[in-house]
Amino acid sequence: MEKFTKLYLKCIKIAIAGAMAYRLNFILSTLLATILNALFPLVTILIYNAGASFPGWGFHEVLLIQGIFLLTNSLAALMFDGVLWSSMSHIREGTFEIVLLKPLPPLSFLIATSFTPEIFGGVVAGVILFSVSLSFTGIAGAIAIFQFLVMFAGGFSVITGLYMMMAAMSFKWVGNSRLTEIFDSIMTFGKYPASIFPSAIRGIATFIIPVAMIGFFPASALLGRAEGVMFLAVIPCLLFMLLGIWIYNKMIRLYEGVGG
Amino acid sequence: MHDLKRKLKICKSVAWVTIKEYFAYRTHMLVSLFVGPVYFAVQYFIWGAVYRDGGAIAGIGYEQMIRYFGITALIGYLTWGSADWNLSMLVRTGRFLTFALRPLHHRFFALSQKIGHRSLAIFMEFLPSALLLIVIFKISLVPAHLGWFVISVILASLIHFFIAYCIGILSFWFVESNGLRMAYWLFDSIFAGFLIPLVFFPKWLQFIQFFLPFQYTAYVPAMVFIGEYQLGGYELSLPAIVGVQALAALVMLAISELMYRRAMKRFTAVGA
Repeated sequence: MEKFTKLYLKCIKIAIAGAMAYRLNFILSTLLATILNALFPLVTILIYNAGASFPGWGFHEVLLIQGIFLLTNSLAALMFDGVLWSSMSHIREGTFEIVLLKPLPPLSFLIATSFTPEIFGGVVAGVILFSVSLSFTGIAGAIAIFQFLVMFAGGFSVITGLYMMMAAMSFKWVGNSRLTEIFDSIMTFGKYPASIFPSAIRGIATFIIPVAMIGFFPASALLGRAEGVMFLAVIPCLLFMLLGIWIYNKMIRLYEGVGG
Repeated sequence: MHDLKRKLKICKSVAWVTIKEYFAYRTHMLVSLFVGPVYFAVQYFIWGAVYRDGGAIAGIGYEQMIRYFGITALIGYLTWGSADWNLSMLVRTGRFLTFALRPLHHRFFALSQKIGHRSLAIFMEFLPSALLLIVIFKISLVPAHLGWFVISVILASLIHFFIAYCIGILSFWFVESNGLRMAYWLFDSIFAGFLIPLVFFPKWLQFIQFFLPFQYTAYVPAMVFIGEYQLGGYELSLPAIVGVQALAALVMLAISELMYRRAMKRFTAVGA
């Protein structure tokens, strides 16, 4: 673990140095990622500005859901987005042997070497959105913070699992850069209060692909609205992450090199 | 006349090769059959909750709103293109050199590629998605005026192409232009009208849209489909707004040509 941590920190430094090789592009990308992500709740803002609302949810409460969603998603992307694209590229080019030959488990090696500094703008925007909305809504109490942290970890696990599954699919579905669109579309259900969706979708978003844990459940915990079923949903979140890692490691066996 | 025939022949050949090339990756296009309806379903439930008491918001009723999102999703399949990425890649890798030497404007080649790609998308994305919207969500997909709608979509596709091409040309100056493409994507996703109808924006921001190219790629054809266009307090008839859209296409064509000429003056590549 110590070896991995050292390697990871070294790789982060290299990734930042690499990104700075094209300084203007890096600065512009980071700045734009911040602005782009800050506009994440644009539809919500425009809906509430027009005098409409989501039933049972105030403006800043919905912003809190979306702030947590953005923060969780950006943090996970910072660490695992590169794993997806790196896997995809190695598989398409037939160079995954390079990863397999390293003296580290393939997934650990890819996580260490695929840090994506360009996504940092999303984390900044997530922190801003989360802090601003929280300053309006307040926190229900000390226990709410603990509940929030547990659910936040659950949401992070879900996205980690999704990244692993996407990367695993690229072993079978070679070179499909649209894989992310499938998972992005599913995650959209986690950006809004789950109460606006029919019960069947709520059930899927809670226990099968627990995307409600990415934003809605942690926000409910902070606002003191957490229900028993939300705590129960932490278990499928952890299982989801473990499933993603397991599938990735299994799918590596499908890799066919180009020889040479 | 002979030149036109020659160009049509080239366009047909390039488009056909592009169709064959992308058909090899047909499952990639079929992703849209999952992604499109899922995004639409989210919109369906969001707006169902927002309109729970009926009435109109920003002058738009529930039925009209759902039709708007349905048709903008479908328009996206007809107008989308990757001319920016393709050109950027050619410049970054130096492979643009082979195009600079050909007796053919690269923009014409890229447009022919887009025609081929989108022709395939009609069968792989547009028609199946339209069918899903009609069958599952019971959306009426009959345009108010078919003729104006078809013209508007063709113009939207051209404008989208010219904008993307201009962004691609910027690679001659910046080489690595991911940041710029991201900026374009940001503005396009907000101001084209894919996220929300533009009438939800403040009046001054709506007015500015007449001078930006983005609304002409999605909002305008969507409103032509619905049969009434209004923005920034102005109501225009369908022929009038399609006329404005044609003017926007000409302006974007002129801008892309100017940029292309300037780019050619500074283009350098390694020999081979």
